[in-house]
Amino acid sequence: MTKRRTLIAAACFTLTLIAQGVAAQGERQAAAPGGIGSSDTDTRSYDKRDFSGLWSRAPQQYDLGPCPECRDPATWPGYGFFGETPPMTPEGQRRFEENRPSRGLELGSEEAERRTDIHIGYRRAVLPAFGNDPEMRCEPLGLARLITFSGIGAAMEIVQTEDRIVQLFEWTWDFRDIWMDGRELPNVEDYLPRFNGYSVGRWEGDTLVVTSTGFDDRQWLDQYGFPISSEAVLEERWDRPSPNRLRARLKLIDPLTYTEPWESSPKVWALIPKEKMAIGGWSGILEDRCVPSDESLFNQFRDRAAGIGDGESAAP
Amino acid sequence: MRRGIHWTISALCTVGLALTATYAGAHHGSSISYDTTKLWTTWATVTQFNYANPHPTMTFDRIVGDGEVEHWVAELLTNPSTMARAGWTRKRTLEALAPGTRVKLTLGTARAGGFSGIVMRIENEEGESIGGGFGAPGAPDLDGVPGGLQPERNEPLPGQEHAR
Repeated sequence: MTKRRTLIAAACFTLTLIAQGVAAQGERQAAAPGGIGSSDTDTRSYDKRDFSGLWSRAPQQYDLGPCPECRDPATWPGYGFFGETPPMTPEGQRRFEENRPSRGLELGSEEAERRTDIHIGYRRAVLPAFGNDPEMRCEPLGLARLITFSGIGAAMEIVQTEDRIVQLFEWTWDFRDIWMDGRELPNVEDYLPRFNGYSVGRWEGDTLVVTSTGFDDRQWLDQYGFPISSEAVLEERWDRPSPNRLRARLKLIDPLTYTEPWESSPKVWALIPKEKMAIGGWSGILEDRCVPSDESLFNQFRDRAAGIGDGESAAP
Repeated sequence: MRRGIHWTISALCTVGLALTATYAGAHHGSSISYDTTKLWTTWATVTQFNYANPHPTMTFDRIVGDGEVEHWVAELLTNPSTMARAGWTRKRTLEALAPGTRVKLTLGTARAGGFSGIVMRIENEEGESIGGGFGAPGAPDLDGVPGGLQPERNEPLPGQEHAR
């Protein structure tokens, strides 16, 4: 009985920490200039241009102090690009309506009806069995979605060399290169579009400015089904405001889809010492792949939940 | 004093469960497929456990009423990377949940009803948590109750017009 109480108390304590984090986030974001604060109290000197290491938006998972600013604001129902969604072009709107996400507030729910302060994209979630999120077929997520999701549970690693920066994403085991060797972006007409596009970077002071083009337009911008065209340009500004924090601001310029550029809300990661991110003494990110055969099995269970499919394979 | 502590724990749990529901919404759409606002518990026997992405799945049997056996299918809210980092590696988990293992489950039933659900927490017969996850203090114990907690379905499920 005592053990049970201890377990309940421990679970509740953990949940309370999360709650405090969410609440503190709102306060810090309201108070800090530029809309974001830092919970990092480390005052050691550091190289502001060194982004290498393991990064997470959920440092509590690694027994580190909470990072309230690492989470997207509680205004939003989860994780995404966020910011002020610009009006869509007719083509953008058509593609947006074709997409049926399963994240966000549930379509038709009381909360979705009430939250008219947020874009309809965040309040139209349907059962996964009735949706068409490409992630649920294990299709590549695409760059913006990798960045905005990465670090929530699955971590991100950055490997930095003289001429390029490589970003490794644990969820779906994906990566992208940011070329720092002065090369120009390719003429997209001459190259195949890629889910993660083509990226070049340069330093503006201690801010890494990355420009990416050449996106495969089958991807969604984030898990809410916002479309992105093959002519989109993604501009990212990365900096390291304190020893243990990495921050990114994204701007999507996609005139085929949106009538104005779209700036994301800031994204913040916490640095995770490699010994903290280890299983059985082996440190680093996991091979957290989305394997189609695994996903297919999972979807049989998922479909049973929606009352479709006979579940023959899922049942014992 | 004792009453005060009790109240505090209850209040914290209320906050915690509300947050759990919010996070679940961002988790493969699971809280939309299942009613995670009405969790319940039951004893069950594991028949199969799949330690795989994007979320583990399992099948289990419940004995109800006059000895009838219900065959259930379920997904877990957690995922392998979270489990592994919490010490629940594949080998340890599969050993702990081998077919025939008797477990107490905290789960939410599929929105469409039937013998399908999402498992939030697994405990063994010693009361130890297996694989992590969240419990739900106060969730009704429906061990042996046919169907467990089934939803009242009056309206189409979100997106059902797109049913394949």
